[in-house]
Amino acid sequence: MASTSCSLLRLQPGSTGSIYRIEGMNPILRRRLADLGVSEGVMIRLKGKGPFLGPITLECNGQLFAIRRKEASMIEVNVS
Amino acid sequence: MSSIALVGNPNTGKTSLFNTLTSSYEYVGNWAGVTVEKKVGSLKNGAGKLIDLPGIYSLHPLSRDEGVAAQYLIDESPEALVNIVDASQLERNLLLTLQLLEYGKPTVLGLNMIDVAKARGIYVNPEILQKHLGITVLPLVARTGKGSGQVLSILEKTSSIPAVTFKLHYGELVEQAIAAIQHELQQTADLPNHRWVALQLLEQNPVVLELLSKRINISRLLEICDTCQTELQNKKLALTLPQWIRSTRKEYIHSICLEAVDTTAQKPHNLTEKLDSILTHRFLGLPLFLVFMYAMFKTTFDWVGGPLSDIVDGWISGPISDSANSLLQTIGASGFTHALIVDGIIGGVGGVVVFVPQIFILFLMISFLEDSGYMARVCLLMDSTMERMGLNGKAFIPFIIGFGCNVPAIMAARSIEQPKERMLTTLLLPLMSCSARLPVYLLFAAVFFPAQQATAVMSMYVLGVIFALILCKLFSKHLFKNESSVFIIELPPYRMPQLKTLGRSTWEKGKGFLRKAGTIILAGSVIIWLMSYAGPTGFNVDMDNSFLAKFGGLIAPLLHPLGFGTWQAGSTLVPGFLAKEVVVSTMNIIYHTPDTAGLESQISQVFTPLSSISFMAFILLYIPCLATVGVIKKETASWKWTFFSMGYSLVLAYMVSFIIFQGGSLLGWS
Repeated sequence: MASTSCSLLRLQPGSTGSIYRIEGMNPILRRRLADLGVSEGVMIRLKGKGPFLGPITLECNGQLFAIRRKEASMIEVNVS
Repeated sequence: MSSIALVGNPNTGKTSLFNTLTSSYEYVGNWAGVTVEKKVGSLKNGAGKLIDLPGIYSLHPLSRDEGVAAQYLIDESPEALVNIVDASQLERNLLLTLQLLEYGKPTVLGLNMIDVAKARGIYVNPEILQKHLGITVLPLVARTGKGSGQVLSILEKTSSIPAVTFKLHYGELVEQAIAAIQHELQQTADLPNHRWVALQLLEQNPVVLELLSKRINISRLLEICDTCQTELQNKKLALTLPQWIRSTRKEYIHSICLEAVDTTAQKPHNLTEKLDSILTHRFLGLPLFLVFMYAMFKTTFDWVGGPLSDIVDGWISGPISDSANSLLQTIGASGFTHALIVDGIIGGVGGVVVFVPQIFILFLMISFLEDSGYMARVCLLMDSTMERMGLNGKAFIPFIIGFGCNVPAIMAARSIEQPKERMLTTLLLPLMSCSARLPVYLLFAAVFFPAQQATAVMSMYVLGVIFALILCKLFSKHLFKNESSVFIIELPPYRMPQLKTLGRSTWEKGKGFLRKAGTIILAGSVIIWLMSYAGPTGFNVDMDNSFLAKFGGLIAPLLHPLGFGTWQAGSTLVPGFLAKEVVVSTMNIIYHTPDTAGLESQISQVFTPLSSISFMAFILLYIPCLATVGVIKKETASWKWTFFSMGYSLVLAYMVSFIIFQGGSLLGWS
């Protein structure tokens, strides 16, 4: 199965990818994501994009949370 | 008496459990959803005190309220811990559990929300968890109180809770470092479990670091940490020491969860999905939020709150005043006492108590928004707007709480991670119209804009928000370094708030208002009344010759360009600094009117529609009340910022009122 890595932002709402790399992120945010269990190898789902280029909603390990698009673009995912 | 600490991730139901386990509060720094300061209550069975700590993900604090929890565990030594975890989020929650087990105190694990987990097809086996972690695991449904009886009976005798034997092996390198640190710590008294301290040090926990550096010379300890990290890097095991420790824990947790948790039947949150598809919809989300806000204000002021306030007003001006009058006459009270009680106390305090129903309804609805899970969505909706202003969406929660009272709102700003954003929120919060300013708007709106009361009041709220946003942009550009803004928020599943919890949190919030009515406002009313009763020529003078008139007259010329240059208006502003509620009680006293109707007719003669807007804007913006100033000082720990917040608001109020009145006059309004 061919797998390609792309920015999380490129996922279609409702689809899932596994996190391949998180780079260049603000350390506070990085730690908070780690607290939520968001790290390399974990499956993540894009739930929806907010209004006016607002934050996007993600689901990871059954937890819903939201981060901004700029930061989401630093998360690279593998889609199979 | 033993003290037991309640610890867990945010949104796991700690406060619900706290409410079912305790009968009384001793200290409260909490409102629904967010515990900002530890909260102490007495256990129902009298076995000791229970301490509800703010929700934390780990003992390594990022925001200030997490710091409170970490500090507590280090400074004070609870006899036992109750760690509450969300059964549907077990893997994430156990990270904190491991850190707590290493802390070494007797611990009980409350496996909460098993009903929610079951409904979602997640089954957790408490026996397997218990076997691996070596502590008692109790399945709970904190919202309904199921299982809380067992927790209570276990806590009855903390000494009978078995000691923790849990020990995770972190690999040879780290274990050597731990042993070395433990060796160094041998001579230091009064420290929590040394292995725990060592691990926290290796994790670079700033709170532990600070505590140790106050007691001992830590350079040797830091050296051990550095060496250990370098060796890990050399062996290509991990990039940093904290990362290594975290991943060791995660692997261990994962292995437990594989055994203890069955997720084969897992289903998504259906209700939450459906609601979110509407409430956080790209286009519908924001308009819906505005509709909710409008409905909230309508309910508070027009639909429910207004009529209730009228009833209370009827009691105060009718039966209460009358019976006080006749009672005073029967006992033959002097003219002075009579006037003091009827005009000073009943007039002053009564004028404020009238607004109690509205304030409680507003608090009830804010609690509802918090408990239902909608508030987090509002942050999400508002983030892009807030980001443009230099803040993040999370600052929106304090702003909304600020409509109730600025004091808890400023404390709520602690949940914001970035120091700059926390400071900005704190500085701008006083621009949110708190419930104390509400009586002023209600009074003036009733007199001058009877047809559009809710709209008039709401526009004052909006005005405050607009100024907050403008100043935010200004301050973030010119006062702070270019610290970037970050935003991350958890979205809890929607749930129907429970009546009992809503009632309790509404009461907790509203209680402060009643307490103020009984203290500051009572005292303020009596002093103001005395100043209006006495003058340079003696007692019972004509009000225009009273001390109050002389004093108000000093400020009046300054206020003349704003449209309310009378001694009456001037003399309401200074006591208004003590508490904004005093503004209305002062008016009641000055105009000698124990009931609202009388006051309204007096005001309609002194103010014009234009000057009333100018006055309302001034009340909205000018100087935070004393309690708010106090909490700003406490939270910013800086006199400079405290004075800044007082100064800018005063200047802003003067400028805005000036523009409203002079501009309006030029346009020919009156």
